[in-house]
Amino acid sequence: MDYLIDVINALVLFSNFVLVPGLAYGSQLALGALGVTLVFGILRFANFAHGDTMAFGTMVTILLTWWLQSVGVGLGFLPTALIALPVGIAATALLVVFTDKAVYRYYRARKAVPVVFVMVSVGVMFMTNGVVRFIIGPDDRRFSDGERFLVKARTFKEVTGLSEGLAIRTTQGLTVVIAIALVVALFWFLQKTKTGKAMRAYSDNEDLALLSGINPDRIVLVTWVIAAALATIAGVLYGLDKSFKPFTYFQLLLPIFAAAIVGGIGQPVGAIVGGYVVAFSEVTITYAYKKFLIYLLPESLEPDGLMQLLSTDYKLAVSFLILVAVLLVRPTGIFSGRLL
Amino acid sequence: MKKLLLASTMLAAMTATAFADGHEVKVGVILGFTGPIESLTPGMGDGAELAFKEASDSGKLLDGKVIVPVRADSTCIDAAAATAAAERLVTAEGVAAIMGADCSGVTTAIANNVGVPNGVVMISPSATSPALTTIEDNGFFFRTAPSDARQGEVLADVVMERGVNNVAITYTNNDYGKGLSESFSNAFKAKGGSVTMTAAHEDGKADYSAEVGALAASGADDLVVFGYVDQGGLGIVQTSLDTGAFDRFIFADGMIGQSIVDNVGDGLVGSFGTAPGGESDGAKMFAELAKGKVTGDGTGPFDGHSYDAGALIVLAMQAAGSADRAAIQSKIMEVANAPGEKILPGEIAKGLEILAGGGDIDYVGATAVEFNEVGEVFGSYRELEVMEGEFKTMKVR
Amino acid sequence: MSALTANPRLRATAAFAVMAALLVLVGFAQSWSLALAIINLCLISAIMALGVNIQWGYAGLFNVGIMGFAALGGVAALLVSMPAVPEAWAAGGVNLAFSALALIATIVAIIACMRLMRRGPGRTLAIVVLVVGGFFFIRVFYDPAVTAIEAVDSAKTGYLGGLGLPIVLSWFVGGLFAAGAAWLVGKVALGLRSDYLAIATLGISEIIITMLKNEDWLTRGVKNVTGLPRPVPYEINLQSSDRFIGWVEWLYSGRLADLGDSERAAALQQLVIENSSLFVKLCYAGLFTIVLLVVLMLSVLALNSPWGRMMRAIRDNEVSAGAMGKNVTKRHLQIFVLGSAVVGIAGAMLTTLDGQFTPGTYNPLRFTFLVWVMVIVGGSGNNLGAVIGGFLIWFMWVEAEPVGTWLMGVLTAGMAEDNRLRAHLIDSAQHMRLFVMGLLLLIVLRFSPGGLLPEVVRRQS
Repeated sequence: MDYLIDVINALVLFSNFVLVPGLAYGSQLALGALGVTLVFGILRFANFAHGDTMAFGTMVTILLTWWLQSVGVGLGFLPTALIALPVGIAATALLVVFTDKAVYRYYRARKAVPVVFVMVSVGVMFMTNGVVRFIIGPDDRRFSDGERFLVKARTFKEVTGLSEGLAIRTTQGLTVVIAIALVVALFWFLQKTKTGKAMRAYSDNEDLALLSGINPDRIVLVTWVIAAALATIAGVLYGLDKSFKPFTYFQLLLPIFAAAIVGGIGQPVGAIVGGYVVAFSEVTITYAYKKFLIYLLPESLEPDGLMQLLSTDYKLAVSFLILVAVLLVRPTGIFSGRLL
Repeated sequence: MKKLLLASTMLAAMTATAFADGHEVKVGVILGFTGPIESLTPGMGDGAELAFKEASDSGKLLDGKVIVPVRADSTCIDAAAATAAAERLVTAEGVAAIMGADCSGVTTAIANNVGVPNGVVMISPSATSPALTTIEDNGFFFRTAPSDARQGEVLADVVMERGVNNVAITYTNNDYGKGLSESFSNAFKAKGGSVTMTAAHEDGKADYSAEVGALAASGADDLVVFGYVDQGGLGIVQTSLDTGAFDRFIFADGMIGQSIVDNVGDGLVGSFGTAPGGESDGAKMFAELAKGKVTGDGTGPFDGHSYDAGALIVLAMQAAGSADRAAIQSKIMEVANAPGEKILPGEIAKGLEILAGGGDIDYVGATAVEFNEVGEVFGSYRELEVMEGEFKTMKVR
Repeated sequence: MSALTANPRLRATAAFAVMAALLVLVGFAQSWSLALAIINLCLISAIMALGVNIQWGYAGLFNVGIMGFAALGGVAALLVSMPAVPEAWAAGGVNLAFSALALIATIVAIIACMRLMRRGPGRTLAIVVLVVGGFFFIRVFYDPAVTAIEAVDSAKTGYLGGLGLPIVLSWFVGGLFAAGAAWLVGKVALGLRSDYLAIATLGISEIIITMLKNEDWLTRGVKNVTGLPRPVPYEINLQSSDRFIGWVEWLYSGRLADLGDSERAAALQQLVIENSSLFVKLCYAGLFTIVLLVVLMLSVLALNSPWGRMMRAIRDNEVSAGAMGKNVTKRHLQIFVLGSAVVGIAGAMLTTLDGQFTPGTYNPLRFTFLVWVMVIVGGSGNNLGAVIGGFLIWFMWVEAEPVGTWLMGVLTAGMAEDNRLRAHLIDSAQHMRLFVMGLLLLIVLRFSPGGLLPEVVRRQS
């Protein structure tokens, strides 16, 4: 019986520090990677501006949220930002569609090689970066409100009588729920609707799709709008869960790319799996298992050291090590890429 | 053209300072307005400029001279760009002195490559690396933020005295965090304490649950955080409280600021830490002064230090009776240290007046400035504890 | 104008003349010291851009890991020039040697496993076991070594130090370091799709920086190593050297003659200060120019050799070049290593000029993307183009700040002093740098994809 409680404690400990944060972070990465992968599948280039697109969408949402908060509009225990989100998505969609018309379309028409697209997206990244900092400034911004926790660590301890607590933040719950809903919606859209089918056909074989009368401009437009929506939602959820800072969003680009490639770029399923793989490997490899093992092992075997595989300094490097390993063993990712 | 050039070079050579129309003195403000600490620097720049404005508005500075601050971007990390920016300030703008730079790395580069070679005083408000103590500065480099080496020891004393002898440490992965972490853990271990784990955190990263998870697993009761109030440090504290990993935190100066109490709320009650400062009400007076005039109302960790750095420059100028670079350097120590009339934030005009009358002042400012022989503050520390929604000073040591 | 576009030589001359004029303008309008400081960094940027141009312009490889190679060059500067720390060697040297042996043993075992066993799940499993086992085996020696070394006077040293040799040597060593790393990276990432290579190199460069930041025993990590020895004199020493003062006195004798004694002394002192700073910068500029000319010459020779023709053939059509019997992946590896080596050299030079190694300095915007802007704007595939790109973009990067601030001042001149929008605009001026760089990149890519000095295509008659 005592041992059973120890096991439960160990599991709660693990959930609290690895499972729950990993799930939330993984969902955020997955949403970001979905956007990258979608653009890759249809437009065939790795969009370096994605992180800053996320920042732009989040910025618009924040500005509106602040205004809503100042006039006293709210959503009860849910964050106000959810009301502002659609506007953020719309603004971001306008931005990316405008960017496409002003920048990318030209290269598409000339059938430029992917590397040129990537380079162009770097230029767009720089500009978006500048615009965001210009409007909202470089500071750390917070805009979350409403109830902070679904489950509080202290309450959990009191209710269950366990010595370990479990905390779930509202934003973490929200992130996972919205991520699941979005993924389901996206799959339904790609599999069942006419436009979705057209997109998959276009991604599969551009020439064949064009021959069968698919309007490429429309496909591209829809892709950008969906990518903008995914980017904004990922960015807002991330900002609600942590905080908004333009510099952070630029840095998010790296794990997002890692997630997209590990899963198999161009593959929506891959993006989701990749997001969780990256998030969980970051957390599990750098987690110190000392306390966890103390609960599980008999006293004679209790570890002295921290039982940590890699120091947390290498957290960011972990996702890239996985990336490199995947590229070595299976260059197309877990789910062979380039298909929607 | 050539003649004009010759004449202007001569003028610059003669006066060492370019007086645009005779009553302006340029002073450089070089901080990382872009880059990793871009969210801290607006307040710092404003803080220094507040001191300049106070001096200019008083009309007493060198018989009515006006300080014109010239900002430049140190980027915090790019030594090459920072050196170029400083070079511009010194040789093109002809500044009389420099308030800056901020991060220890670029500060060292600017001091070695521009400040010292050109004989320009630099007062850094935030470079805290112990390595700066021993640079060959010819007496031209000062800092109003204390070296990490000292603070680590003081904090170790505080922690010990409170009966805590088992801690985990997390530090922001730069020279400030690392240096402080090492000096603290050495001092703490020497006093018999034990550090269960030391983990770095990167500022501006996505997520800190891995760090907090590992720190919590180490089995320590309290978490020592060496970071910045609005950066990774905040993320660590927030995540720790949310997951119930730690209930009490121990902070150094970078983490002391009203914003963290406001952001985190009740969870911080009982957490404590140290920050440089004396018995005086300097910090409070600066807070009053900065309200509405400094970005973030002067609550940033280095805003007060910046104000002090700026004030020292103008006061030294007044004491020297000229805006000459070498003359300013020769007077900094005098105005900063005892003996003399104590000068607090908002009293720069008073200080200028005393100096004009040939008197002596001891600038105290927002952070209780007192320089040792190598031009570093070595003064007292306040022991602070969070109660009733703010950091309260418990003791001065 | 048409002559300009038609004649590449004329165009290059014009571009360099404009650049020179800009720098002279800085000299007159701001100061000569600043102009020289900018030139020194322009020279380094030009070398870096040349390295990238070798990869992109000759072979079409999109390497987004420039930052990592530049940092490896920087480490070389530190490891070559700083004095060794004997206490640290004594404390951890033996264990470190053992961990190196353990690393070699692990690698040999893995290679043997790959050679001897047949492809299949068995081999994969064996490799995984070897990697994991090796990791723990190495750490048995490595962890105590690191702890011991880092404990040696951690505030001042806490690392192994370097070789104490002249820092100029490190420029070669930096090139070698970067070449070695590039070979490893190339083995992994070349042969992938072009944009995979980009992302892989981006990730690997981040790993390199993370290691440099955290392996304190080697680099002191984020505690930085400052005060690297210089290859040129120190200003302070010059200022107290009678010979130098005499020289300045002679140089400015005409101007000093008319002054009274006390004024003369003050003016002389100021002139000595200014000239010492100019002199040091000129010394650096001389050294850097030599390196740039050597690298440029070698690049031009290589591009025009049969090897260079083969490279361009591969770039323009990999499939047909492959069909002609050219080993595309091997050639790519070759050029990736060469280009990275040049970047490494530039990285070591930059650290030398800064006089310090600070791993926190390296960020992708400044060290990777900015260099890319240089190459694209200058003219990909054209060596002189890369050089002019390096000069122009660095110049803009530095001058964008004063110009931007001035521009905002002019734009907002009509607004009231306490107008919040005005304050916001002025505070934001610094962020326009990124915006301008992005805009410039897009404009060049769109309207002049060849850059300022496009590649010269020679037709064989």
